[in-house]
Amino acid sequence: MEPLIEARGLCKRFGGILAVDHLALSVEQGELVGLIGPNGSGKTTTINMLTGHLKPTAGEVLLRGERTEGAAPSSFAARKVGRTFQITQLFSRMTVLENMLVPGLARPYSLRSEATRQARGHLEFLGLAKLEGLQAKNLSGGQQKLLELGRALMLDPDILFLDEPFAGVNPFLRDEIIGLIQQLHADGRTFVIVDHDIEAIQRLVKRLVVMARGAKIADGAVEDVSHDPEVLRAYAGV
Amino acid sequence: MTRSLAGQAALIAVAAVAALIFPQLVNNYWLSVGITALFYAIVAASWALLVGYAGQFSFGQMAFVSMGAYTSGMLARYYDVPIPLGIATGVVLCAATGCVIGYVCLRMRGPYLALFTVAFSEVLRIVLVSEAEVTGGNGGLQIPSLFQGRSDLPYYYLGLALLGGSLALMGWLVRSRWGLFFRAIRENEDAAAAAGVKVVRFRLLAFAIAAMFAGLAGGFFGHYVGILTPDIGSVDQMGLVVAMAVIGGPESLIAATIGAILVEFLLEALRAYEQWRLVLFALVLLLTVRFARNGLLALGADSLLRLVRRQDASAKARTA
Repeated sequence: MEPLIEARGLCKRFGGILAVDHLALSVEQGELVGLIGPNGSGKTTTINMLTGHLKPTAGEVLLRGERTEGAAPSSFAARKVGRTFQITQLFSRMTVLENMLVPGLARPYSLRSEATRQARGHLEFLGLAKLEGLQAKNLSGGQQKLLELGRALMLDPDILFLDEPFAGVNPFLRDEIIGLIQQLHADGRTFVIVDHDIEAIQRLVKRLVVMARGAKIADGAVEDVSHDPEVLRAYAGV
Repeated sequence: MTRSLAGQAALIAVAAVAALIFPQLVNNYWLSVGITALFYAIVAASWALLVGYAGQFSFGQMAFVSMGAYTSGMLARYYDVPIPLGIATGVVLCAATGCVIGYVCLRMRGPYLALFTVAFSEVLRIVLVSEAEVTGGNGGLQIPSLFQGRSDLPYYYLGLALLGGSLALMGWLVRSRWGLFFRAIRENEDAAAAAGVKVVRFRLLAFAIAAMFAGLAGGFFGHYVGILTPDIGSVDQMGLVVAMAVIGGPESLIAATIGAILVEFLLEALRAYEQWRLVLFALVLLLTVRFARNGLLALGADSLLRLVRRQDASAKARTA
């Protein structure tokens, strides 16, 4: 089966630093993949290249077999690639509903009434329905994370890249987010999740990809990767 | 209709009636001030659209005014092009130049963008000064008037119609999905792009549309004044427009418009105080930026809204 998204020989250089070094990664439709690694291992840079926010220095990004490296982020969004950010990025002085309507109305030929109906449905699902008139900056940190997820859902994404969805989140909300991701995954959506919360990641995913110093050092089932000596060395420095 | 909507409709109706009967109440001098205020109001609103809604801090709006005025003026003077067609040509040229400026500035933000647009304005002004054979240089370029006769009245009503039309169009725009995208870009370009907004396209559109309205205002005002000098696009003039919009409220077209009209009238009313009136306005500007980032009118409107809501709540409590 053709992968939903695939990176071939992906490199990103920032001046003298090779942040991502010939990365090969493919994600099939319906997978739930965890992408982990120590700080500075190139995870976020990889996500940025796979969603159009960074142009690779070299290599290819194939989305459903079509080369898309270097395309604008809006072009990835139009091809049903959604993402959240490491540090939550909202339209702070716009209301919760307006935040949701931006992706809804960015779709060609979309109708405001239909986008609003869809947005309210997602807000209901995320437990934010009563806050739709509030400015996003007035939400709590956890609610902001949920809103960012909701905004990505408005793209009706086939694949969602979540960058540290559990960072700074209390255990109750973390469980809630895990539950939401599981529901969305059960509906057929593909996920790539970056996080440092190994316990949460292990609860969620079946496949783990580990990066260190810009390169992929392990890729496989959670149980296998967890005991991989190179992974242990990268994390523990042993 | 809610009380706030009814209040807004009533305010607009009162403002419209006041604007329509204004010429009957004042002498020629104040009518001329009124026309100048209408011109500044269009420019301030267009700047609010670009800066307040789309978040592109430009100092080049008066350069587009200058471009619109000189394009129309020179076409009418040298080629006998009908003035409305000349103004339309100026508007199109401003839109195209706005697109180019927007494209060149794609990677610039905040102070860098502001500095670039200052430089653009100065380049245009110096070209107008230097090419004196064609532009008249600092001595000015006489251009035909839009209306025959000596009355300012037709200019006033045309200016009023242009302001009303511009506000209606800009208002429609900011309430449309384009307005939503402009605000999303203002808030966070990365998030807007991730949400599917074509950031480059909408940044260019914001520059082009704001430049169009500035060019329109320039064309109208140039043919009213009848003599063009490069100073119309100076940084001083741009500073005045920024002050007008900021004092009114840069994130509201109406507030920026009212700010422009108020400042223009107050500047004239306080003319006896000469340079001290400028010190006064500078102080008002400083206080506004410090204590009312969204303008004095927005602050006043918010307070009024809170008062109305409090009254509504207490009325409901009494009925219950």
